[in-house]
Amino acid sequence: MIRLLAALLLAAAPAAAQVQGVLLDDPVEMPSFALDGTATTRFSDADLQGRWTLVMFGYNSCPDVCPFTMQNLEAAWSETSLRVRPDNIPQVVFVSVDPERDRETVADYAVFFHPDFLGVTGRQEDIDRLVEASDSFYRLMPPDSSGYYEVQHSSSVLVIAPDGTLRAKLQPPFDPGRTAEFLSMLQIQYRREMIQ
Amino acid sequence: MRSLLLAAVLSFPALAHAGDIAVTEARVALAPPGARTLAAYMVVANAGAAPRALAGVRAEGFAMAHLHHSMEKDGVAMMAAMDQIEIAPGGSVAFAPGGLHVMLMGPRKALAVGNEVVLTLIFADGAEIAVTAPVERIDAGS
Ligand SMILES: [Cu+2]
Repeated sequence: MIRLLAALLLAAAPAAAQVQGVLLDDPVEMPSFALDGTATTRFSDADLQGRWTLVMFGYNSCPDVCPFTMQNLEAAWSETSLRVRPDNIPQVVFVSVDPERDRETVADYAVFFHPDFLGVTGRQEDIDRLVEASDSFYRLMPPDSSGYYEVQHSSSVLVIAPDGTLRAKLQPPFDPGRTAEFLSMLQIQYRREMIQ
Repeated sequence: MRSLLLAAVLSFPALAHAGDIAVTEARVALAPPGARTLAAYMVVANAGAAPRALAGVRAEGFAMAHLHHSMEKDGVAMMAAMDQIEIAPGGSVAFAPGGLHVMLMGPRKALAVGNEVVLTLIFADGAEIAVTAPVERIDAGS
């Protein structure tokens, strides 16, 4: 079934075979974790159940790539929202891997890009569990003389199905049309799998 | 339409000329909450017959400014400082989101849409060009 979907995706975009996502061979269970943004915004493994979730890793001090990615993701998400059933519109979650600096700002940071986006961070062990389970990556770089440091992080976005398992990763630049296509095909495949 | 026209008029000062070098579309991206650094973008064109090299930049109101390049390596997003950026005769270099950017570090005050930042581009031959970059909200695809 996974191979069939890949074939369909290739057939859908013959001219520009720009890959917007990669399907995992097997669904990957997500670990238990608890992250938060404000006192009222929380995000834990329980929130993965019953809805589609897109998770992006990054940090608020990132001047160029993170805003660029969030804007592209917002455009792709908006396009997806037009194409899928309302209950299949994914929740977008920005997870800061830099809790030290971003604890106070991460919720507002995500909302800057869309009012429905969630921004969270948390204890390093929770972040690390999510990062490791999804085969993602981040690294805090050594600080410069002013104390500022950069953070390297995975550029792909996790696609987590309503059963709480990781199914795919979206790849930049998140072309809106192709990303929406990819996500709606993935959702069709998932529904078929659930019926079987 | 009116706001589009207004935007075009407002961004007019972002055009700077000095000899064979022209700088257009200079702008500073409005920073999301929590940003400690900002990014500026522009297009630098070299109409001359000789290659030119951009070697640095100063930014009014910031502690430091660097020429940076965002890139992706093995699925990891990272940035690197550029010592020099060559601009071929008749060519141009675009600073745009997700690639080349002027990294503005240590803002002395928070910037809002409509504020302006004076950037001074420093060339390897010693020439300097000042350009006024308005702060704008930059959306996908722009
Ligand atoms: Cu940078």
